[in-house]
Amino acid sequence: MKIYNNKRAVEFSFNWLFAVILGVVILVLAVYAVTKMISTGGTETGTIASKEIGILLNPLEINFESGKISSISIVTETRIYNKCDNTGTFGNQIIQTSQKTFGKFSEPSFEVKFPNKYIFSGNYEEGKKFSVFSKPFDFPFKTTDLIYLISVDKKYCFVKMPGNIKQELKNLNSSNLLTENCFNSADAIKVCFDSDTGCNITVSYNQGYVEKNHTRVYFETDALMYGAIFSEKDVYECQAKRLMMRTKELANIYNKKAASLEQKNCNSNLDLGIFGILLGNYKTSRDLSGLFIKSNEIKNANEAATCRMW
Amino acid sequence: MQTKQLLAGCGRMIKIRNKKGQFKVQQMAFMLIAVILFFALVAIFVLAFQFSSMKEKATVLQEENALLLVAKLADSPEFSCGNSFGETRANCIDFDKVMILKQEISKYKNFWGVSNIEIRKIYDFGREKTCTSSNYPDCNTLKLIESTSSGYDYSNFVSLCWKEQKKTGTGQMLYDKCEIGKITVRYREKI
Repeated sequence: MKIYNNKRAVEFSFNWLFAVILGVVILVLAVYAVTKMISTGGTETGTIASKEIGILLNPLEINFESGKISSISIVTETRIYNKCDNTGTFGNQIIQTSQKTFGKFSEPSFEVKFPNKYIFSGNYEEGKKFSVFSKPFDFPFKTTDLIYLISVDKKYCFVKMPGNIKQELKNLNSSNLLTENCFNSADAIKVCFDSDTGCNITVSYNQGYVEKNHTRVYFETDALMYGAIFSEKDVYECQAKRLMMRTKELANIYNKKAASLEQKNCNSNLDLGIFGILLGNYKTSRDLSGLFIKSNEIKNANEAATCRMW
Repeated sequence: MQTKQLLAGCGRMIKIRNKKGQFKVQQMAFMLIAVILFFALVAIFVLAFQFSSMKEKATVLQEENALLLVAKLADSPEFSCGNSFGETRANCIDFDKVMILKQEISKYKNFWGVSNIEIRKIYDFGREKTCTSSNYPDCNTLKLIESTSSGYDYSNFVSLCWKEQKKTGTGQMLYDKCEIGKITVRYREKI
């Protein structure tokens, strides 16, 4: 580089110009690559976390841990997104996560799908620790265990609940599912049974519906009632549909089993074929009450049968 | 760049570039290619490393899933005995129900996230007799989900129960028969 006496004239040789341009290009590319890698790394970590959460819920999905509360702890502040699709034979439980880095939540990870899980929660739960418990869903045979996922930072205050629900919640012994002296707590979500003054969620236990954010969803069995309380309408309706899809497939299996055992003089006389058709016609939670009546008929018939199917 | 114009003998104008400048341009071009190649190689190396570690993580997750699943699979509704054999039995597989499940297995291919599920009677030491609707229950192995992919197996012991007919003096008698069995799940290794 030559600097002449004239201060306004600075001559760059081609070498210098080339080096500067190339240097800038390389630096820009390097910064871009590092940013992309950090973002890909975040997505990768989130996707792995989503898969791990799903796998950790395996013991809850299959029976034994029913009625106990467990917790999932994550090192960084995390959002667990709960999504659901009801395509295919069983639909899918979709889990996504996003973690807080530099005070901001990253983009949600890739969708991780589980066809055999049914999680009820808000659209997303946020925190470092999450409470998880499950309840069996029998309709009339065991279909699956429903999983409830709540951030420990979220408190639910149950008011005027029936005795069996109170006992069940007490047995869970959870710090965020409160049953006594919580109505005046400002940060608690109030869940009231058959009353609606100052409540965030109203449960009509006898008529079988839950009202939340001016929307109503219907339930049958306590397992679905908890689902309706803890989840948003879209998630609840989708999961209820998926449950009916799985119940339909199980009804088909039991129907075929009954037919094969009939050849061995093991009669059960259950209306499972019709039940399967009714389950196939399920659209929204409003259809649950009709199905529940049929389910109870089949349950009684199975209990009375000489050859029980389940 | 300095150029000289010479009048050639035939009358045409010919441009002759400075050889030193030409050499520098060539040098730059080679340098540019070298720099690009270097960064491309570094990028390939980093991506290959990341990809292999991702595959490893995916395999670990599959393994974890298989391990947790095999311990509980017998109690899932598609397998469990429930109360159909007199009383509630834990870790018990209803063989009659699973035989029906085998007919419907195309719907359940990706349901549990494993590549193979096999149920075997333990105290049947004869050669392997795969269960079909024609030889059931005189068989010892039921291949519920089959695939040829390589992977690792996890097994768990279970009760295997079914309704069996026995000839009596007055006719046929139906009774509950249970044996010890083994359920094996295989997870697919990410290659």
